[in-house]
Amino acid sequence: MKWRLLKYRIFSAFENMAIDEAIFRETIAKQKPPTLRFFGWHPSAVSIGYFQNVDEEINVERCRAAGVDVVRRMTGGKAVYHRDEVTYSLTASGAEKIFPDDIILTYELISRGLARGLSMLGISADPAGVDGAALKKKTKLSSTCFWAPSARELLVGGKKICGSAQVRRSDAFLQHGSMLMTFDASATAALTLPSSSETLCRRLRDSVTAINEQLARPGSAEDISDALQKGLSEQLEVEFSEGGLTSSERHLADELLQKYTSEAWNFARKKDTFRVARERAF
Amino acid sequence: MKVFPEDLLYSREHIWVRVDTDMATLGITDYAQEALGEVLSIELPEADIYVERDETFGSIESTKAVVDLIASVSGTIVSVNEDINDDIGIINSDPHDTGWLIVIEMDDLSQLDDLLDAAGYQDFIMQQESE
Repeated sequence: MKWRLLKYRIFSAFENMAIDEAIFRETIAKQKPPTLRFFGWHPSAVSIGYFQNVDEEINVERCRAAGVDVVRRMTGGKAVYHRDEVTYSLTASGAEKIFPDDIILTYELISRGLARGLSMLGISADPAGVDGAALKKKTKLSSTCFWAPSARELLVGGKKICGSAQVRRSDAFLQHGSMLMTFDASATAALTLPSSSETLCRRLRDSVTAINEQLARPGSAEDISDALQKGLSEQLEVEFSEGGLTSSERHLADELLQKYTSEAWNFARKKDTFRVARERAF
Repeated sequence: MKVFPEDLLYSREHIWVRVDTDMATLGITDYAQEALGEVLSIELPEADIYVERDETFGSIESTKAVVDLIASVSGTIVSVNEDINDDIGIINSDPHDTGWLIVIEMDDLSQLDDLLDAAGYQDFIMQQESE
């Protein structure tokens, strides 16, 4: 069976999170084949992990002044500044047996597919070693996701080029990750807390890279997402078929947009207010 | 191979249930905590909230993922483990006992019939791993 491919398109942060959750819910409820989606962000945005406290992780005033949206993800992990990147999301139900039950092995399998895609662009990338120790230590400098390698990241020359996060419900998962096209350490440091210390900037520059820093001639988001899709196709030995959202996904995404644009969700993680009718289907 | 306590029931969502008349104590299984890795954060409902079987009653974030917690039975939450606030590590270190999560006053004891005993849960895990 072919997997669905939703080709690269740009949406707002709120739309992106609503679409991902709608696909995830529909995939579980209807045990649908997996979906691979590529997307960009406009306006720029900072996303925070499900459990993060906005006021402790993000300089909200600076974000607002700069026109940068703030959104809370379904997935865990740390804050990510989405500016010039190709983001992927991969959603699969438990019926899809290609992915192992082991969470880390699933990350690794997907990372290997993404690495294959990067190699088609001429970039040699490797999944970071299975060592989550860096993530376990909460330090004052660790509010941003692109900071310390773990099993969830893809490295180029020891620097992180892609960070990923997962949410699991029953035996289904949604994994999304950011593949940076360019990286602005100063802006990242300015929008996240503790605010732009020189130390944080330096460490970010030393630990993070981006696709167009690695290429002599910059690639477009479309070219990059095409290569990543081909890499995943080869690695997972599956075929993709280009498609769009179903009408029920679009309807659900419209409902979920209320949640992702609300202060209650983004700033206080109050999700019960936004239960939609179909929630009971799970 | 892990050994699961005989006096507990188990769901296919990796939640254990200890039954005392119409009270059910729920927690995540040792298998689940090992699969998740170190638990970093947890979100649980407050007492007096009603939960329905197969619905989400909370979420856990580990070093690997955010995972929804699925209620094994329906009923009203009468107690939430406050000790987790002091030491979240007990979910990993003692999942079947002091790492319990919530107590539910059940309103339909027949739902327990759909849960697995220790041997059945062991078989379920082995079946999942062999697929």
